[in-house]
Amino acid sequence: MKRRTWTRAVIQVCVALFFLFCVILPILRMLARITPEGFRTMVSSPQFLPAVRHSVTTGLTATVLTLVLAFAAAWCLERVPIRGKAVFSTLFVLPMLIPSISHAFGLVTLFGANGFLTNLLGLRGSIYGFWGIVAGSVMYSFPVAFLMFAGILQYEDGTQYQAATVLGIPKLRQFTGITLPYMKKTLLSAFFAVFTMIVTDYGVPLTVGGKVRTLSTLMYTEAAAKTNYDGGSVIGAFLLLPAIVAFVIDLLNPERGQGAYVSDPVSPSGGAFAKVAAYAYSVCVGLAVLLPVGAFGLIMFERKYPVDPSFTMEHIRTSLNRGAGTYLLHSLLYALLAGVFGTLLAFVCAYLTARAKGAFSKGIHLISITSMSIPGLVLGLSYVIFFHSSPIYGTVLLIALANSMHFFASPYLMMYQTLGKVNPDLEDVGLTLGVGRLHVVKDVILPKVRFTMLEMFTYFFVNSMMTISAVSFLAPPSPKPVALMLSQFSDQLLTEQAAFVSLLILGVNLALKVVGNLLRRRARA
Amino acid sequence: MDVQLNDKLVIESISKGYKGNPAVLKDISFTVRDGEFLSLLGPSGCGKTTLLRILIGLLPADSGKISKDGRDITALPPDKRGMGIVFQNYALFENMTVRQNVEYALKLHKLPKAEVRERSEHMLEAVGLADQSRKYPRALSGGQQQRVAIARTLALNPDVVLFDEPMSALDVATRLSMRTELKQLQAKFGTTMLYVTHDQEEAFALSDRIMILDRGEISQLDTPERIASEPANEYVRSFVLDNLQAKVDSLARFIRRGGGAS
Ligand SMILES: Nc1ncnc2c1ncn2[C@@H]1O[C@H](COP(=O)(O)OP(=O)(O)OP(=O)(O)O)[C@@H](O)[C@H]1O
Ligand SMILES: [Mg+2]
Repeated sequence: MKRRTWTRAVIQVCVALFFLFCVILPILRMLARITPEGFRTMVSSPQFLPAVRHSVTTGLTATVLTLVLAFAAAWCLERVPIRGKAVFSTLFVLPMLIPSISHAFGLVTLFGANGFLTNLLGLRGSIYGFWGIVAGSVMYSFPVAFLMFAGILQYEDGTQYQAATVLGIPKLRQFTGITLPYMKKTLLSAFFAVFTMIVTDYGVPLTVGGKVRTLSTLMYTEAAAKTNYDGGSVIGAFLLLPAIVAFVIDLLNPERGQGAYVSDPVSPSGGAFAKVAAYAYSVCVGLAVLLPVGAFGLIMFERKYPVDPSFTMEHIRTSLNRGAGTYLLHSLLYALLAGVFGTLLAFVCAYLTARAKGAFSKGIHLISITSMSIPGLVLGLSYVIFFHSSPIYGTVLLIALANSMHFFASPYLMMYQTLGKVNPDLEDVGLTLGVGRLHVVKDVILPKVRFTMLEMFTYFFVNSMMTISAVSFLAPPSPKPVALMLSQFSDQLLTEQAAFVSLLILGVNLALKVVGNLLRRRARA
Repeated sequence: MDVQLNDKLVIESISKGYKGNPAVLKDISFTVRDGEFLSLLGPSGCGKTTLLRILIGLLPADSGKISKDGRDITALPPDKRGMGIVFQNYALFENMTVRQNVEYALKLHKLPKAEVRERSEHMLEAVGLADQSRKYPRALSGGQQQRVAIARTLALNPDVVLFDEPMSALDVATRLSMRTELKQLQAKFGTTMLYVTHDQEEAFALSDRIMILDRGEISQLDTPERIASEPANEYVRSFVLDNLQAKVDSLARFIRRGGGAS
């Protein structure tokens, strides 16, 4: 018994030290760089206040639009009996597999000066600027909100609607009186998740922002490109704000039992009109998802759309000459490392907090979910500052570590929830049978949660393939990941090559998802 | 306290509190005799599970001493006490077949292969699951899962087995047959059994003696006959006997309706 408590204490201390050195201290170190002068200089610079204003206005507009569109989409699939639900729900999350910046390139290909739709529909006006940022942001944050809404709508209890219908309460009143209150917490979480995501992303505003510069583009150009770390730290502190607000609100509204067993879920209903409308809407959203991908597939093989549409492999060849192949290998390595290490770490943490509660459990849980709200740019900058003179600086490990931390929270929560549902007495039964905890974990618990492990791995992998935020501070000197080529193409307006690289990333991510689904299906059969 | 020849477990002055719940068990002392079937009866939250977990060593007591066969086992880890436990939810290893469930611990203890197989077959035979050994727990009924848990525990040859409300997830008919089987197993292996239950009628049907626990204290520890004829206090009378009467009535109704053939 003594020895067992010892092992656990050692593991807990290791995890605590890890968080200390890989999250807390780097962030504090970055914040400590802020001096009163540095702060004043940055805040009084001519770009700063407009950047704050643009971040807030584009962020709010895009967030509201995303929530409305995603809610409508989730409603169409969950509450209206339409055909092709599986196809639509797959399509709707597809944008999660390409980098945010690719969505901006998608907009340029469709609506740019020589875009497909610009020419086809004879559009005038420019995509660059406020609405470009909003449109691009909506495109990549849509799936996140959609998944949250679809999830919560599935778990709503249907009996209250039956009762309301019997009482003759009109549908609209049912919506405002039952549905909205039920979804309040999710709406709030979705709002903050989407807003934070949009405001901290620099890929979209960098590519289609035109003259409209946001805090994140400022941070990228000032701190990452020009290595002004003092100024960057000030902006970083501002970018942490929405996360802190979200975190406090989350603390004040503790999670109520979600995903509880529902005896009678709401069954989809609606007349012919509702079906047609839902179907039309879903098709529109599906097209909006597929159009940029299709356009990418075309322009990467055309010499110069629309001037010279002849077939060429030149864009692909140039990308490869610029190192796309090597960088892809780097990315795969990062994704694999972060996938393996992140999944293991998230499992250990979730196990400690969900099943082996001890001295540090609450703290580890809190840090784990807080890490979700640290923007990638901030994490990257704090890593440069903190690890600059450490031996892992400039190596593969630093980026793998940054990715593991950056994408830690969601996989951790997946495992935390899964482990909470596993029979609580398994380890105790093991102990009484003379089977140690480690054996029970290895032989009983891990096999049981293997698909959650797979899902966690996929999450780390896919996001490591796409991320351009933290890595923009770390590579170089660390080997460059392929997604970072996109930021470079953005400066040089190399849309065709960006299309190729985006599809490359999409292809890898899609392949992993398909393999994962096949594995799962085979195990079920 | 002098140790009698047939005392299996001697529990002396066990106390236990949790944070925010300082006196769950208050200075509990009692003796379990060798080969006896002792039921622990008490309302929800009175400390039954806590007591079992202390006895098997999953939970340290705040104070007190536990001896088995005259030997102090208070500080021994759970697997060194020669005791086994069956949980209410069985806690089976779902990714293993019935046989693997029984053999898993034996294998880890590095027993010779032939002996592992022999023991598991013997155990599965004893609980009537010999023909189900290749199935996974999810393919079994509640009663069958229960038997797997019992076989898994008995396979390690414990001389004391603790049961924490093992029947509460089963339907009435299965309970009745499981009871008989449990008594048969006890007779066969000579195991001392400590049986926690909510169910007064079950306690009276199965037990050599019954211990009634109320808010962390022993109200009475005696044979079913003596508890029925001489309840130690008003609490025992009202909690045990009144409920028992209700049970007997409902059981009578149940049997009249045709005894769970549905
Ligand atoms: N880990 C714990 N921390 C704090 N209090 C606990 C803990 N475990 C049990 N308790 C409290 O101790 C008391 C006794 O709990 P115990 O589980 O032993 O009761 P029980 O008799 O087994 O009840 P039941 O019949 O419902 O299973 C209860 O009030 C319970 O709330
Ligand atoms: Mg209990």
